[in-house]
Amino acid sequence: MLTRIANGRVIDPANNRDAVGDLWIRDGRIIEVPPGDRPDATYDATGKIVMAGAIDIHSHIAGWNVNTARLLLPEYHRAAAPRPIATPLSKAGWSTFETGCRYAEMGFTTVVEPAVSPHYALHAHLELADVPIIDKAILVILGNDDYLLRLLQANESDAAISDYVAWTLEMSRSLGVKVVNAGGAAAFKENVRAFSFDDVVPSYGVSSRRIVKALQHAVTALGVPHPLHVHCNNLGLAGNFETALTTIAAAEDLPLHLAHLQFYGYGKEGDRGFSSAAAPLAAAVNAANTVTADVGQVMFGQTVTISSDVLRQFNARKQASPRKWVILDSDANGAGIVPYDYRRNNFYNAVQWAVGLELFLLIEDPRRVFFTTDHPNGAPFTAYPEIFALLMSRERRAQWLAELPPEALAVTTLPAITREYSLGEIATMTRAAPGRLLGLRDRGHLGAGAVADVAVYEDDADRAKMFRAAALVFKDGELVVRDGRVTQHRWGRALTVRPERDAAIDRRMKAYYEDRYGLSDDFVKVPEHVLGRPDPFERVPCVS
Amino acid sequence: MEQAWIAGKPATLDSAVAAAAKLLAASRQPLIAGLGTDVAGARAAIALAERTGAIIDHMNSDAVLRGLDVMRSSGVMLTTPSEAYARADTLLLAGEIFGAGEIGSTKRLFDQLARRQGQHGTARRVYWLCPGGELAKRAPNEISLTFVGKQPRALPAVLAALRARVAGRPTTGAAASQKILDEAATGLQAAQFGVAIWSPQALDALTIEMLCGLISDLNATTRFCALPLTPGDNAIGVLQTCGWMTGMPMRTGLGRGFAEHDPWLFDSTRLVESGETDCVVWISAYRAQAPRWRGLPPTIALTGRDAGFRSRPRVHIAVGRPGVDHIAVEHVSLTGTLATVEATQPSGAISTAEAIRRICAALPGEPPC
Ligand SMILES: [Zn+2]
Repeated sequence: MLTRIANGRVIDPANNRDAVGDLWIRDGRIIEVPPGDRPDATYDATGKIVMAGAIDIHSHIAGWNVNTARLLLPEYHRAAAPRPIATPLSKAGWSTFETGCRYAEMGFTTVVEPAVSPHYALHAHLELADVPIIDKAILVILGNDDYLLRLLQANESDAAISDYVAWTLEMSRSLGVKVVNAGGAAAFKENVRAFSFDDVVPSYGVSSRRIVKALQHAVTALGVPHPLHVHCNNLGLAGNFETALTTIAAAEDLPLHLAHLQFYGYGKEGDRGFSSAAAPLAAAVNAANTVTADVGQVMFGQTVTISSDVLRQFNARKQASPRKWVILDSDANGAGIVPYDYRRNNFYNAVQWAVGLELFLLIEDPRRVFFTTDHPNGAPFTAYPEIFALLMSRERRAQWLAELPPEALAVTTLPAITREYSLGEIATMTRAAPGRLLGLRDRGHLGAGAVADVAVYEDDADRAKMFRAAALVFKDGELVVRDGRVTQHRWGRALTVRPERDAAIDRRMKAYYEDRYGLSDDFVKVPEHVLGRPDPFERVPCVS
Repeated sequence: MEQAWIAGKPATLDSAVAAAAKLLAASRQPLIAGLGTDVAGARAAIALAERTGAIIDHMNSDAVLRGLDVMRSSGVMLTTPSEAYARADTLLLAGEIFGAGEIGSTKRLFDQLARRQGQHGTARRVYWLCPGGELAKRAPNEISLTFVGKQPRALPAVLAALRARVAGRPTTGAAASQKILDEAATGLQAAQFGVAIWSPQALDALTIEMLCGLISDLNATTRFCALPLTPGDNAIGVLQTCGWMTGMPMRTGLGRGFAEHDPWLFDSTRLVESGETDCVVWISAYRAQAPRWRGLPPTIALTGRDAGFRSRPRVHIAVGRPGVDHIAVEHVSLTGTLATVEATQPSGAISTAEAIRRICAALPGEPPC
């Protein structure tokens, strides 16, 4: 099958291409212009924008936490009423099927679920197997698990830690490792209520810093392409930009990714002791070459916060709106599901909104700042098109700013920022850079050999409208979306890494599970054949 | 051996599948009930429901929805069986614990508690509110077991009194002796990591809400979590599957192009007894359980062999037992997660998922995807 996407403006920053021309696809891959061959299908892209399929590196779309949020929130109807539009996340789509379709319609073709505890990996992969069209991956969470804390407490070797990390990656079929409030969930089980980077988990005498550094070294040593994905301590608290600065300093020239940095962009200035600290935070990111960050932009409206930071969610439960929540002290990590309503006229929410945009605009290199709302924590992913528009137009931002509480504007630098993202920078941030950050060499770009994941958009002056509904989307070369509507369902794959490990770790883990839980460790495995889809996994190579 | 019957007479699998598809195609309001099956079976059943506009329900929905109801209206703090096993120093049991699985899970925690050394010199304790039942006699001697109140029906009053004592308020009435209530209140507050356990089948929603409130109160100063035991027939696995596939729990209708959930309207017993459904797919792969309702609308049964139906199903396909005849993913109560269960007696019996896929394929018209 030979397909030609004709005469569009192809924006492919990874290959320094931004010009009107053709894009050719053969059997699911991008190819060079084939000499003489007649295409089986031609799609006219005249006047349209052609980009690689977008990649979302951090979006909570599957697993126990997400599913519990679904069960917690669709409002309880005693009457036989259709589900109301006002239901939280009704715009985002609340089932696995809707998730895949809504993402594809915006031109996204790969999405990473960033927070899966090892024991819930099978659950997460079963959900992902029911997400149509897009490819996906999970990051597995380590850093509050008894086994790792014991290794650190006993000053075990780097190799022992790496073996354990490699074992966990393979058992859970993950693409990378995330750490969430390192040690915080373990400390909370011992009744600790606040936990910072140099605090120690009581029973183990191990600090958050040590956990983060150990995992960062292990991930790097194993050649896992995606750097350690860090959810810092003290999320959401006034003055917490200091925690983020400390964490950035601790990267020490090794790769480190900071998740949803917006939630750490808070100072203590102003009458209310809450202000934007985005400027110093962005400056620190700019100065630290090996550090990347995604934003976790807040948008106004009802949503639900879904986090493995059980300590933070426990403390945030009193702000639940509507007033209900679920807190789980789980094996290793925890979980907290707390619904929340971000309001435009709320001082704190307005500052949060501004902090996110400041980070996007003040971090200079679009290859090191990643586009997320931490779906659904800052906003559902369906809010993305509006955020693209805000980044691309200072005028649009000014319109929004005019409606916010003036006292909130007084504690941010956003009104003074004039930068506007270009389409090329948007393509870098949402395609080229995430492809590279995740080690997906054949995604995020349109060079020959790349997976033929392609999004074609109308070049509409209303950028939100343009990005909301792609004109055409191809997944693996197959047309799946036309005029913003899914036309063809198919099943994607989950991307995994499988670094080498010493086989002795398998025996050690078997013994550990027997001892700690009185159980076989078989339940942590994710057998391919129980997922019910052909070829559910694709292995991404590690770097050596 | 026979594996399919039409109107009680042995039939080939193919003809049973064709007869089932014909019944479904002619139905104005199909119902898929029982749903005692593994995750693969549930995925197939929900896909069939989407295709046919059916309502989905599970035989243990009452117990599941009672707990869910509390979650959907207040706050709950939960833990896992594994964490309770590794960490709990105090257990709070509420009401009667019954069912082999539930007794097994609880006994496992007792035994673990008895085996472990006390951390920081704290005593390992079990407080049991209004126990009734048999399990109470089987607690190991190594742990201290305190009964608070006796009869299960006194539980709401005992719980209210205990919650008052934990909050430092006086109690009135004689739900249980003041001395024991005070001892329990002090003991619960002294827990390092306490875990409250109950059978959702045994308690009403108000009592569960009170328990969750007590746990919330205890967390003001210490750590305490809930571990509700799980009803059988993979009710929790099916709940999870319904959740991700439809956004809703069971008792959800897919007949109007979107998922609508209503615990009363879509209760399968009500639907059958009111005559609102004209075709039932009844699934009981684990136990060959027949439905309890009176009268039987045209039924397609996917169950074990000897389900003891009061009246004959129109179509009956004998399906394999998940985790016995074939490998299965289901909610495993020991781990509290979805996990793979290998077949203990692998056989050629058709799985629920495969039987439903064949019925789906035999339906007239194009599959949507
Ligand atoms: Zn997140």
